[in-house]
Amino acid sequence: MASMWKRWVPAVIAVGVVASVAITVPMVAEASATLPTKTPAQVIALVAGSRVSSFSGTVQQTSNLGLPSLPSTGPGSSSQVASTLALLTGTHSVRVYVDGPSRERAQVIDQLAERDVIRNGSSVWIYDSKANTAQHATLQGHASIMKRPGQSQPGQSQPGQSKPRQTKPEQSMTPSDIATALLAKLESSSTVTVGDQVTVAGRAAYDLVLTPKATDTLIGTVSIAVDSATGLPLGVDLTARGETTPAVSVEFASIDFSKPSASLFAFTPPSGAKVTQESTKKADTGAKPSTKSVTKPKATVSGTGWDAVVSVSNIPSLTKLQTSSEFGLLTTSVPGGHLFHTSLLNILFTTDGRVLVGSVSADRLQAVASAK
Amino acid sequence: MLSSEPMTVPTVSGQPLGDEVDVRARPAAGWALLRSEISVLFRRKRTWAMLVALAAVPILIALAVRLTESNPRSNGGSGPAFLDEITHNGLFVAALGLTVCIPLFLPLTVGVVAGDTIAGEASAGTLRYLLIAPAGRLRLLVVKYIGAAVFSLAATLTVAAAGALIGAALFPIGPVTLLSGNTIGVGESLVRSLLIASFITISLLGLSAIGLFFSTLTDVPVGAMAATIVVSVVSQVLDNLPQLDWLHPWLFSNYWLSFGDLLRDPISWTSFGENALLQGAYFIIFGALAFGRFSTKDVLS
Repeated sequence: MASMWKRWVPAVIAVGVVASVAITVPMVAEASATLPTKTPAQVIALVAGSRVSSFSGTVQQTSNLGLPSLPSTGPGSSSQVASTLALLTGTHSVRVYVDGPSRERAQVIDQLAERDVIRNGSSVWIYDSKANTAQHATLQGHASIMKRPGQSQPGQSQPGQSKPRQTKPEQSMTPSDIATALLAKLESSSTVTVGDQVTVAGRAAYDLVLTPKATDTLIGTVSIAVDSATGLPLGVDLTARGETTPAVSVEFASIDFSKPSASLFAFTPPSGAKVTQESTKKADTGAKPSTKSVTKPKATVSGTGWDAVVSVSNIPSLTKLQTSSEFGLLTTSVPGGHLFHTSLLNILFTTDGRVLVGSVSADRLQAVASAK
Repeated sequence: MLSSEPMTVPTVSGQPLGDEVDVRARPAAGWALLRSEISVLFRRKRTWAMLVALAAVPILIALAVRLTESNPRSNGGSGPAFLDEITHNGLFVAALGLTVCIPLFLPLTVGVVAGDTIAGEASAGTLRYLLIAPAGRLRLLVVKYIGAAVFSLAATLTVAAAGALIGAALFPIGPVTLLSGNTIGVGESLVRSLLIASFITISLLGLSAIGLFFSTLTDVPVGAMAATIVVSVVSQVLDNLPQLDWLHPWLFSNYWLSFGDLLRDPISWTSFGENALLQGAYFIIFGALAFGRFSTKDVLS
């Protein structure tokens, strides 16, 4: 009988080997050399002095905002609101290619679909494989960093990309000057510290942690991982007050600092795609697509810093949103309107047509709404 | 693979000390067994019926789209991915056929073949004759697994080839638009189709190993087939529940629809590698479990 049991040894070993590999490989990836300690000012100076102009990488975005997550129904598509909601829940990957200040490409990876934003000099293309549509816009002058409404491109909105460019016109300011100025500004509202060394995309990074001084904001900490070698910010984590896991995390899963292939930035819309041209004016001012409405949205800000509340009135197509079937499911009825609640942000739709947005509690939003 | 050692070490170190005749005769016996296994597999009417049914999927879709083509699509983008593209380019029928087949039809047919491997021989009363031949139980198991893997490849290629042929017959063919919006020529698109077929074949290897293990548990082939198919459905249901996202990377069906990563520009190889690792892990675990069960099993029939 003893020999019979021996036949099961390979099975036991196989399970053991697979389990140990699965456990140890991520741990090995985490371990790295210890970095010299730096003050917050030195880390900010590292970012400001970053000279990275070309890289390609995959950015992973994870959201855990406390919103309901619905099962994706396989390869089929879903309604507009559900797909917008899907951007705020779960995990998304974006492949990012950057070559110099004017050539960028972001690919939002969906299952069996993809959304692309390609910028080559002054020409910007937005391509959606599911709808098979391509939008083209031309930027005028030396346009600043590409930023389009309605597109999630976490890799593009990171401070590291804009900072080196902003420094160029002001040659007199050294990275440490900028760091000191920025730190002084930040410290009026937040406590800035350097946390434990982290590993992002396999690279050792400093963790710059901002803790808001305001007590009534929903944001607990903002931590920015700064690559120790290049000064490029590799990730941003937003953690809600009282939580330990980040509510929103955007970080590189992999990064490569070599120059991406030039062919990536050349885009010709495929035959059969619906191509629309956007007027240059819109692209230039970066205004919202809804500029044709006569009454312009009016925004007022009450408070400063982390607990500021933005109040917007006269929003066109708001009633369309409010009458959609998902609106009732996603918001809760509160005195004075409807509340859309996430762990980082509250949005109050008041009955008189205003929208109040802030990283503050619902009570404060209601107080601001009724004060007007 | 380092981790596959535990499976091969006992046999390699257990057998080579025998005389030279033994060493030479045994590989020959293994190849003969494999040849006979594959020829038996592809001479069965059931195998051909399953392949024909798989080939019918892209053909029926293409015919349906061709016949209703005059209706302009009104719902803009509903239905499975690639459905809109095939009227512009017949080569998309292959990708569409694989998208439709991967959740149910391919696991169904692979489950039938993998579940039948050992249990089928046992229920037909032929298992003990196979073991009387100087083959050894491990070798029989390996041959049976390779047979199931060959069927997975044949099934995937059947869908892809039938799709490409019917697409070329009914629709115009030309440069293929990738998910990234870039276009590639017909030649490169065929290379990508083969890559997708290999991705899906690899995706089915874990399920084949599970089916092989189930097949060693019972003498009733239908039971093993049904269990294998049920496992594949359960895995996909779990994969669609966002509440279980911590479990998803460990489900063998997790990358089944990730073959779209091969249709991007540049190709994203991450999911290909992760899928291969995952399927390898399932192969090692369920292969070793099947060996443990089969080598200790009393073969009575």
